[in-house]
Amino acid sequence: MNSTEVLSHTDLSGPGGGGNPAQICLGCGTCASACPMTGIEGFDPRRIVRLGQLGRFEELGESSLAWLCTMCGRCQEGCPMDVRITDMIREARDLGGEKTVPQAIGKGIEMFMETGNNLGLPDEDFGFIVEDVAEELTEEPGFEDFVLPVDKEDARLLFTLHNKLVNTQNEDLKHWWKILHAAGESWTLPGSRWEGVNWGFFSGQDQVLKAGVDTIVGNMERLRSRGLMYPE
Amino acid sequence: MFDLLVEYISTQRIRLDRDRIKKKAVYHDPCNYGRKSEALFGHGYFHEPRWILNQCLEHWTDMQPNRARQYCCGGGGGLMLTPYEEQRKYYSRRKIEQIKNSRAELVVVPCHSCHGHIRAMLDAQGPASIEVKYLWEVVAEALVMD
Ligand code: SF4
Ligand code: SF4
Repeated sequence: MNSTEVLSHTDLSGPGGGGNPAQICLGCGTCASACPMTGIEGFDPRRIVRLGQLGRFEELGESSLAWLCTMCGRCQEGCPMDVRITDMIREARDLGGEKTVPQAIGKGIEMFMETGNNLGLPDEDFGFIVEDVAEELTEEPGFEDFVLPVDKEDARLLFTLHNKLVNTQNEDLKHWWKILHAAGESWTLPGSRWEGVNWGFFSGQDQVLKAGVDTIVGNMERLRSRGLMYPE
Repeated sequence: MFDLLVEYISTQRIRLDRDRIKKKAVYHDPCNYGRKSEALFGHGYFHEPRWILNQCLEHWTDMQPNRARQYCCGGGGGLMLTPYEEQRKYYSRRKIEQIKNSRAELVVVPCHSCHGHIRAMLDAQGPASIEVKYLWEVVAEALVMD
């Protein structure tokens, strides 16, 4: 979504409208009461709305306001005027530019664009990790004949992975594998570009968001999967 | 994910034993699957996870408030990865209060971010003895294999 679209969502036409979303804000404070961050270092959703009202998205993106917000949507759930506060935040984060993106997210995005996953984990290492866990699983009763379907074609479901499961929390890979095995599901895990975490959502960068989606669609086409399971 | 689990359970592609997990559990609605999904797609996944939990264990409860009014865990929007650690803890105090008030010994979440964040916050400021599990982890533990 670009800024024009964000603005037009709550556009007020006619005199005094100005096309800014926050023009319709009543200043009622419902959002501030609903937000758990209100009060910390002057955080108040109404400040976000006000900056939006003034069209100062860039400034918003550079301030801590944009990054302290969890985009939980609790503010707008109660807003009587349906002001889209989280859309403004996302837009502002993008306009704030790369330098304002927190380092961990920026680094992950860089890795993703380069290697296809946020960790920068080579496919070979990925294969080694998942096969290792799969082998462990065959030692548990009921799962002796479990085989990890890596790059299986024509499966009903393609599974993406959260990078932490191949990083520090390998044990947590097993839960879904057990369920899929018990259900006799036809599924596959891509051996490459398996990342399911799309940090473009957080950074507000639509081109990163799109690259993440393209990766998944590319895998589905390559493996002719019929459906997608995206537990991230 | 919820739909797939509901499909497996309701068509008996998997069978579950409700007596394995004895701890009293509490369910947390992630913003993205609940409130935001409802606002964006017209359907919030509030009912499905609760139905799934009913099939997996005997004792579980809801936080107050819940569903669309649920508090965010505090890890959303990438906040978990920002340098604002103190602010994050402050934000999450609400979640910790909700968990404590529920008197549960186990928090069940269907989201990787919420899982990581609630675990970290319980370790930092809440009773660290409270467990955090994924919804699908609870399903996997209740699986009957024969
Ligand atoms: S709840 Fe809506 S109308 Fe009220 S102050 Fe917040 S943004 Fe403005
Ligand atoms: S979306 Fe941001 S501003 Fe709105 S309630 Fe959540 S944290 Fe507060």
